[in-house]
Amino acid sequence: MIGAATPRVEDARFLRGEGRYVADLKLPGMLEACVLRSPYGHARLAGVDASAALALPGVHAVITAADLPEGIPPIPCRVPTHGEMSGFLQPVIGREVARYYGEPFAVVVADSRTLAEDAAELVEMDWDPLPALATAEEAEAPGAPRIHEAGNVASRWGVDLGDVEAAKRNAAAVVQETYRVQRHTAMPLETRGLLAQFHPARNLLEVFGPTKVPHTNRAILAQMLQLAEGDIRFIEPDVGGSFGARGEFYPEDFLIPWIARRLNRPIRWIEDRLEHFAAINHSREMRFELTACADAEGRLTALDVKLLADMGAYIRTHGDIVPSHAVAQFPGPYKLRNYRCQAVAALSNKTPTGTLRAPGMFEANFARERAVDRLADKLGLDRLEFRRRNLVTATEMPWHVGTESARRPVIFDSGDFPAILDRACERFAWAGGAAPADKPLRRGRGVAVAVEPSAFGPFESARVEIEPSGRVEVISGCSAQGQGHETVLAQVAAEVLQVPMEQIRVRHGDTGLIRYGGGTYASRTAVMSGHAVYAAAETVRAKAISAAARKLEAAEESLTLEGGRVHLKDAPDVGLGLGEIARMLAPGNPELVPPPDSANAIDQDGLTATQYIRGYPSGTSVFAAHFAEVLVDEETGQVAVERYLVAADIGRAINPLLVEGQLVGGVAQGLGGTLLEELVYDSEAQLLTGTFADYMLPSVAEVPRIETLVIEEARSTTNPLGVKGVGEVGTSGVAAAVANAVADALGKDIALCALPLTPERVLAALAGATP
Amino acid sequence: MKPAPFEFAAPETVEEALAMLQQYGEDARPLAGGQSLVPMLALRLARPTALIDLNRIPELAGIAVEEGRLRIGAMTRQAALLASEEIARHAPLMIQALQLVGHPPTRARGTIGGSLSHADPAAELPAALLALDAEIVVRGPAGSRTLPAGEFFHGPFETAVEPGEILTEVQVPLPAEGGSAFLELSPREGDFAVVSLAVRLVAEGGECSAARIVAGAVAPAPLRCRAVEQVLEGRPLDATTIAEAAAAFPAEAVEHDSAFASRAYRARIAPVLLRRALTAASQATGGAA
Repeated sequence: MIGAATPRVEDARFLRGEGRYVADLKLPGMLEACVLRSPYGHARLAGVDASAALALPGVHAVITAADLPEGIPPIPCRVPTHGEMSGFLQPVIGREVARYYGEPFAVVVADSRTLAEDAAELVEMDWDPLPALATAEEAEAPGAPRIHEAGNVASRWGVDLGDVEAAKRNAAAVVQETYRVQRHTAMPLETRGLLAQFHPARNLLEVFGPTKVPHTNRAILAQMLQLAEGDIRFIEPDVGGSFGARGEFYPEDFLIPWIARRLNRPIRWIEDRLEHFAAINHSREMRFELTACADAEGRLTALDVKLLADMGAYIRTHGDIVPSHAVAQFPGPYKLRNYRCQAVAALSNKTPTGTLRAPGMFEANFARERAVDRLADKLGLDRLEFRRRNLVTATEMPWHVGTESARRPVIFDSGDFPAILDRACERFAWAGGAAPADKPLRRGRGVAVAVEPSAFGPFESARVEIEPSGRVEVISGCSAQGQGHETVLAQVAAEVLQVPMEQIRVRHGDTGLIRYGGGTYASRTAVMSGHAVYAAAETVRAKAISAAARKLEAAEESLTLEGGRVHLKDAPDVGLGLGEIARMLAPGNPELVPPPDSANAIDQDGLTATQYIRGYPSGTSVFAAHFAEVLVDEETGQVAVERYLVAADIGRAINPLLVEGQLVGGVAQGLGGTLLEELVYDSEAQLLTGTFADYMLPSVAEVPRIETLVIEEARSTTNPLGVKGVGEVGTSGVAAAVANAVADALGKDIALCALPLTPERVLAALAGATP
Repeated sequence: MKPAPFEFAAPETVEEALAMLQQYGEDARPLAGGQSLVPMLALRLARPTALIDLNRIPELAGIAVEEGRLRIGAMTRQAALLASEEIARHAPLMIQALQLVGHPPTRARGTIGGSLSHADPAAELPAALLALDAEIVVRGPAGSRTLPAGEFFHGPFETAVEPGEILTEVQVPLPAEGGSAFLELSPREGDFAVVSLAVRLVAEGGECSAARIVAGAVAPAPLRCRAVEQVLEGRPLDATTIAEAAAAFPAEAVEHDSAFASRAYRARIAPVLLRRALTAASQATGGAA
C-alpha cells in the first residue's frame, strides 16, 4: 500500500458534510462565550463595569482578571529559546495594560453566542490610550518607551562561521540590500474553537477542540490548573486547517476550561473571523539586511545578515523559533562556509507571533534567492548555472551547515541537489527562455532553490491493536487538521500487516487513547507517526508470527504474513488469520500459555503493540527547486503568475496523491503571501486589514495550474520508511521564485526587495531600474 | 459576528413595503440581495431596527424595453442582467461592468437596486449606469420620483434615497449609442476595483460626437470626467486624441487610499486604464480613425 495513490479515507465524510467540527458539538446545559478584546494597540484599562451586561437575561457571567485567582502563570514557551523569555510571556487574560489590538480582557458567558455579543457591547471598559510602538524598528530604537518592564527586545543571538570579512575583501561581486517580508498568517477555513466540560464528581475536565499538540497542551493546562494530567482529556474533533497557527496554547485554551469548571457548565467558544485576525498567531514579519559575496569563479563566498524579527506584543509558545529557523537555515542548499548573522527578536504593539507553514524558511529563502540572482547578474553568469555551481553535492552528504536552531543541528541527510535541479530545469524547459510578450506586458522567469527541514523529533507514538474480528485499530499521537493522516497511517499499517485499508481505522488527537503524543508540526507526521505506526505494526506482525508458530508447531522462519493471514510458506492453506491470532492471544484465554518468566513482558497478551519512536534531532531535509513564469503589466505593475513548477526530492511517497496535494496547496498558500496577504497596521498599531475584504487570500483565479515533479530518490536515512516531510516544501520557495521572475520581467538589476509584490511596489521597482 | 437584534418583515407588494418602512421608522432598512447588508449586520456596522425583505415582491424584478427605455426592476439579480439579451443588445456597457462584479454566487443573489442603494464608491454598476445616462426611480409615501444617476450618488454609501423610500427601478434611455468599454484594476478577480473606468463613445463620420467617461473607486462617488469628455468631443478618435484625453484625467480628484493601493498609485494608473478603455471603446464604435 505504500506508494499507492489511494483516495483519502477522510474524503467521504468531508465531502458529504459529515465532518464533525467543534462548532457541531453541543452538550446539555451548554453556554457560549464571547471574548472581549482590547480595541487599542496600547492602552491602560482604568476600569470595567459589567453591570448592564450582567443584567441582560440569559447572561451568566462576565469574567475579568479580577475573577481569576492569584498566581496563574503566564503561557509558557514550549520550545528552547535564545534568551530568558519570562519577562515577555502572555498572561491568560489582560489585567491593566493592553499591549496589542485583540488582547483578551473579559469573557462574557451567555445562553447563546448572539446574546453574549449583545452583552459584550454593554460591558463598559474605560481605556486610557498609551503611545503605541507599531513596528519592531521603533521598539528597538534607543529610548523607545517600554512595552514590558523587561524591555522591547526578547532575545539577541548570532552565528559566525568561517571568515566573512576575508570573503568580503576578496569578493568579485557584492550585493547589499535590505529585504522585508510582511506580516501575514494562517487563515484556516475553520477558526479556532473549544468546548469544555467539567465533571466535578469525577474531577474530570474534558476539552473538545484542541489540536496540533494536544498532549503538550494538556500538560500546560494541568500545570496551570494544578490538576493531574489524567484529570484532563483533550479530544480532537475534525479540524479545518491549522498551517501551524491553530492548536497552539492560547489564552482561550486556559480561559474556556477554567470558566467551565468555575460555572460548572459546559462552555463553548467559537472564534469568529474578526477575532481570528486579531488573536491568532501572526507570522513572517522580518527584515534582513544582507550582504552577499561571490568570487570571480562564481562561488558564493559569504552571506552576512542582520535579522530583525517583529515578534508582536508577547512571546508565545513558539518563543523565538521562527527567526531562529531563519538564521539557522539562511545559507540554504549552498556549500557556504562563511556565514554570519546577528539576530534580534524585538517586540511591538501588535498581535504576538508564531509559526506559519515553512516558518522562517519562506522569509530566508526570499532574501537569499533574490540576492543570489543579483550576484549572478553582476558576475554575468546564468542564474541557474550560478546556483548549480554552489549546490551541495551528493558526495558531500550528510552536509553539516554548522548552524543550529532550537538546539537541533542543521544537517542535510541525503540528496543529489544538482541532479534534481537539472531535472526540474528540463521539465520547465528553462533553457528555451521565456517567450517575449507584447507591450505593455513583459514576461519573466524565476528560479529558487531551497532545503526544507522537516520531521523534527523528539518522539512519536503509535499503538496498533488487532481485534478478534480482524479489524485493525491504529492509535497515533499525532493530530490532523485535514492533511489526510488517517489515510497515510492506514497505508503504513496495511503495508506491514497485509490487510485491506477498509479493515483499518486510525484514531488520533485524543489524550485518552494514548499516554504520550508528539503532535503535528514541522511536516512530521509521515516521517514520525509513519515510523511509529510502522514500528508498532512490525511488533504486532512479529507477535502474530510467533504466536502462530507456537500454535502451528512450526518454525517462525517457515511462516509468512500475507493478506491478513499468517501461513506456512510451503503450504499456504495451513495458517491463521490475524483475527484468529488475536482471539488466541486475548488476555485470559486458557489456550494462552505464557512462559512463566515473561509474565510482565511488554504487550505480552493481546495482539497489540505500543511503540514510542525517537526522531533525529535534525529531522529530514527536502531539496526543492521552484520555477515561476509571470506576466507583468509595465504600466500598472500587475503581476499574473502563468506557470509554476515545484520539484522536490521527497525520498519516498507513501501516497503520491497526497504529496501532490501538499505541494500544490503549499504553492497556493505561498502565492498569497507573495502577492496579496498582509496584516497592515497603522501608526497607532490598529489592525487595518482585519476582514477578508482587506486581507486578500488568493482565489482560484490568481492561482495557475501548478505543476509538480515529485522525485523519490534520496531516501531519508532517519527512518525505516525512508520518507521525508513534504508539508511545507511547496510554500517555502514561492516568494523567492515569483519575485525573481517579476524582477526578470522588469529588467536587469532590479531591487524588488519587499513583499507582498503589490502592483504599486512592482511599478516602484521598475522606476528604480537601471536600463 | 452575530447581528444585533432586529425585527423582520417580508411584504409582498411595494405598497406594503412602504407602509412597513413607515411603521418601523427611519432605522428600518430594506433588504435586497443581502450581499453587502448581511455582512454589515454581522459586523454590527449596520444596526437597523427592522429589515424589510424585498425578495418576495414580484413587481420589483424584471427587464423590459418600453417607450424607448430599458426598464430594469430594482430586485433584478445581477446574474439575470448578465444573461439578458435585452441588456446585451441595448446596454453592452452594463454587461462589461457586470462581468467584473463579484463572483457567480454573489451575482446570483445580488441585485441592481441593492448595488446602487449601497453606493460603494468602488462598485461597478453605479459607474456604468452613470455613463449610460441612466435614471433611477425612487418610491416613497408621497409617490415616485425619478432622478438622473448624476444626482443619485451623494458620497460613500450615501444616495438620494430618503428614509421611508425604496429604489424601485432603473431606466436607461435608448438608444444608448456608441462603443463602450469597462476596465478596472482590482487586487483579485471579483474584488472591488482599485480604479475602474466606464467609457461610452458615440462617433459620427469618424469624429466623436458624444462621450461619457466615469471613473470609479477614486472619489466619494462615481466621478464623471467632463474634462476628458471635452477633449474627445468633436475630435477624431485617433491615438493622439486618446492620449490627450487620457492625460486630461483629473488626477487631483483621486481621494481613495488603501494599504493595497495608495492615492498616488491610483492617480498614476487611472490615465493608463482610461487610455486603454478609450482605445477599446473607440474600436467598438467602428468609427476609430
